[in-house]
Amino acid sequence: MTALDMIREDLRTLLHDKGAQTGEINADTPLLNGPYDIDSLDLATLVVTLEEKTGLTPFANGFVLFHTAGELAALFGG
Amino acid sequence: MDALNPGFTLIEGDHTLSSDDLRPDGVAVVEVAKTGVKGVVAALLGTGDVFMVRDASVPLPQAAEDKVWLQTSGTTGAPKWVGHSRDRLKARIRAGGDRARWLLTFHPGSFAGLQVLLTAMAGGHVLIAPGHGASIADMADLAVAEQATHISGTPTFWRAFLMALGDRSLTLKSVTLGGEAADQTLLDAVKARFPQAILRHIYATTEAGTVFSVQDGLAGFPRDWLNDELSVTGEGTLKVKGLDTGDMVELTPDRVLFRGRRDAMVNVGGVKVYPEVVESYLLELSSIQDVRVSARPNPITGHVLVADIVLKPDSGFDEAQIKAHLQGLPRAQRPVSLRYVDALDIGATGKKSRSV
Repeated sequence: MTALDMIREDLRTLLHDKGAQTGEINADTPLLNGPYDIDSLDLATLVVTLEEKTGLTPFANGFVLFHTAGELAALFGG
Repeated sequence: MDALNPGFTLIEGDHTLSSDDLRPDGVAVVEVAKTGVKGVVAALLGTGDVFMVRDASVPLPQAAEDKVWLQTSGTTGAPKWVGHSRDRLKARIRAGGDRARWLLTFHPGSFAGLQVLLTAMAGGHVLIAPGHGASIADMADLAVAEQATHISGTPTFWRAFLMALGDRSLTLKSVTLGGEAADQTLLDAVKARFPQAILRHIYATTEAGTVFSVQDGLAGFPRDWLNDELSVTGEGTLKVKGLDTGDMVELTPDRVLFRGRRDAMVNVGGVKVYPEVVESYLLELSSIQDVRVSARPNPITGHVLVADIVLKPDSGFDEAQIKAHLQGLPRAQRPVSLRYVDALDIGATGKKSRSV
């Protein structure tokens, strides 16, 4: 499973759990300013889940800017 | 309050209001969600006690002190009332300078929000107010549409704002970070995105208000600023005007850097949360024998809470029940990850080790 697949799956679960609309998520989908109701705490949660699933900690040395699902996936090994 | 510059303009929703449209309002209770920023401005222009209500379930305090009362987040998540004299609220406000277009990122009924509001009112600036409940992504859209020039927000706000803004055109002249410690990687990211802006991060406490403002783009503050009124205690916390802030600091040869809290308080996206409160809340469930809630660094919100849970033997594992129970907490207090363990590590002090 690629990091992008994980992001897709985790985001769908997260959106479903809060009763928000879900749909197509691809590498170009913006996370915070995109078609879905994702806020900072959702994104924080997504990052923790990815860290636990991959064992990677791409933010260990501080904040790295990302906008889209693909850019976040790249930080977790693509 | 007499500090309304005739040049002040409020952009709120579809309305643009000039100072002529804003009259002092004698109301004592302002339900901010209903009145919007317009109602807050009108109340600030009046006199007597004013209560800025964010959570109507909290009873009003008895007051006859000619103060502006704000609700701040309490340790248990229930807001408490704190009264501020109008003079103290205005103490740091400086009028003058070029006309700015301020984006309001804080709640208009918060201390930080009032600082932005009063700055715009006194300086004759434009205040761009997002609607109630606007997301940071909404604020990014608004900043672009209204071409904001001055923005003050928490580090959590700025991380999300940079993400939501993308490469859209926005030229800021002033960027302020406050409410949580600003780390160097974030300061660098903001500086790279808004190279023309004056970048400052501020340190404030509930008791002393704004203590200092750092403008060199480096995390922490210069070590040679330490003096009688700003010192480091034997325990390594910062002391301001005789009061221990509980904020742990580390001294480098030329810098004082913030290193979290001495008590268990954790800042999650600008909201102060206490892991012990969340532990007590989880222990209300009969299926949970023991739990440790701890903070984990997070690139978006600074920190998040995670929980290690020891289940009672034969209690029947039901994660859905635990998750449903957690919905009763404010979002910042909800652990984002639940781990099920056989036992918790107990430190030498007999306390549950909270370090991650």
